[in-house]
Amino acid sequence: MKIFYNRLGFTVLLYREIHRFFKVFIQTIFAPLLSNILYLAVFGGVLKTREVGIEGVNYLHFLVPGLTTMGALMAAFQNPSFSLISQKFQGTIQDINSYPISDVEKSLAYILGGTFRGLLVGSLTYIATVPFVGFGIKNIPLFIFSIILTSFIFASIGLICGLTLDNFEKMNFILAIVITPLSYLGGVFFEVSKLPGVLSHVGNINPIYPLVNITRYSYLGIAEGNILLHGILAFVFLSASFITSIILFRKGIGIKVR
Amino acid sequence: MLRIENISKIYKRGHKEALKNINLTIKEGEFTALLGQNGAGKTTLINILAGNVHKTEGKVIIGGYDLDKNPLETKKIMGIVPQEIGQDYIFTVEDMLRKQSGYFGIKNNDDYIDELLEALSLQDKRKSTTRQLSGGMKRRLLIAKALVHKPKLLILDEPTAGVDIELRHSMYKFLKKLHAEGTTIILTTHYIEEAENLCKRIIVIDHGEIIADEPKEKLMDIFSQEIDVRFEFDYDIDIEDFDFLNGYEPIVKNNRNLYIKVEKNNLSKLMKVITDKGLNFIDIDIKRPKLEDIYLNLIKS
Ligand SMILES: Nc1ncnc2c1ncn2[C@@H]1O[C@H](COP(=O)(O)OP(=O)(O)OP(=O)(O)O)[C@@H](O)[C@H]1O
Ligand SMILES: [Mg+2]
Repeated sequence: MKIFYNRLGFTVLLYREIHRFFKVFIQTIFAPLLSNILYLAVFGGVLKTREVGIEGVNYLHFLVPGLTTMGALMAAFQNPSFSLISQKFQGTIQDINSYPISDVEKSLAYILGGTFRGLLVGSLTYIATVPFVGFGIKNIPLFIFSIILTSFIFASIGLICGLTLDNFEKMNFILAIVITPLSYLGGVFFEVSKLPGVLSHVGNINPIYPLVNITRYSYLGIAEGNILLHGILAFVFLSASFITSIILFRKGIGIKVR
Repeated sequence: MLRIENISKIYKRGHKEALKNINLTIKEGEFTALLGQNGAGKTTLINILAGNVHKTEGKVIIGGYDLDKNPLETKKIMGIVPQEIGQDYIFTVEDMLRKQSGYFGIKNNDDYIDELLEALSLQDKRKSTTRQLSGGMKRRLLIAKALVHKPKLLILDEPTAGVDIELRHSMYKFLKKLHAEGTTIILTTHYIEEAENLCKRIIVIDHGEIIADEPKEKLMDIFSQEIDVRFEFDYDIDIEDFDFLNGYEPIVKNNRNLYIKVEKNNLSKLMKVITDKGLNFIDIDIKRPKLEDIYLNLIKS
């Protein structure tokens, strides 16, 4: 079986995934952007007087890379998961079995569609903060790379959820009970080391923690924890989520009947 | 074109044995009907070919390619019209057919898409989303989707369910045209006259097993050993005048019609007996059994 089989088919499927969210851009781009700006205004306003963030760094500057990362990962997660679950809901999910496109190509199309949306929402979130905090990224290529990496990982996780979950309630449950808390505990708004007790250790198994810190490092030049370790962890999360999603796709979980 | 060897299927959920050791070969250019009651296993068989359902056992060869070893090659050969109508809330008809072409690696397929829309009377719906289509239109859209890549093997799972009579007939015309152009077609339906009118080969599946697989005429022959013959006279007749036909269960209706049952190979003998008697009938008809009767007979037995 070939890994790459039908480049045009792959491109069209990727285009479909992007075209789909552009058709409903109010919900998919505008809404998350707005909520991120609100976060900046509210948390930035409330927390800047407290002792949070990194010493010597303006809290708003601490917050910007956190929000950018969170915006990217939420959008990236939602794209493939929402797309697949709505196809299940519409009764069109099995269409995907009829295309002469390889499993790797199909997985990549969904993941890259989500990655693109993550990059878009992440970048727009960043741009929206510029009027508040001004422009200032220490390492622009690393900053962009980090948003793409974050988006890719969470698009893979989104694909896994889209395949394994069969309705929107379950997906919203995962978002509310897993992803959102992990963002709060992953250093988006404050340092993980400031969390009480066990929570301060959650970072090591939380994929958001290293990603937020890589983005923050690229933005500020400093971050919490060991940046090299973050890099290694990110790579582990990347491989694990990508490989899992391809295996699930190949097995036809959620799209083929046993 | 299609070879199915020892296919069986037991669904994990419910442990339902939906197919039991199915063997089937379909040659290029055939037009086959797959008949069977609700739950007989028709859709299961089609879904296995489509890659929607994992088979429990057996082997499938489509256009020379093994479904397990070369699944992607088999996709290019097949076009499948599913039984369930999906709803795409987002894309327009035109959009969907263009993307569908792309998935199959075809660029600039607009001319053929136009042709399909025309043939399926969907030209004026090209800018609508499926939500705005009626049930019958959605079904025709599914057919268009299955055809954009000009499949050699077209499989339709109840394509005419919910389609009105006029459009059904235009669909028949269209399918006949595709068949004449060389497309191998397999169709499931609950309208027996549809199978009778379109198909050359009839396969009947019941409780997951093939219980009949014959050319249409042959199937009709087998089950039409006994035929009904009606003679009409222009004068009143009496049953007692027909004692000599005792073996044929003669019945007189409306004083002028004589009904007789006869074995097919005795038909000419019967005619001789009747002409020898010098009976002056003015009309005769021979009722050929309908496929529907045969079918009902089959699944009852
Ligand atoms: N996904 C599934 N899981 C479990 N059992 C199933 C599934 N799909 C079908 N079955 C069972 O398999 C059997 C065959 O169903 P199938 O859909 O193949 O019938 P069919 O011949 O297409 O019927 P119809 O004319 O109603 O469309 C039925 O008993 C059905 O309940
Ligand atoms: Mg069916």
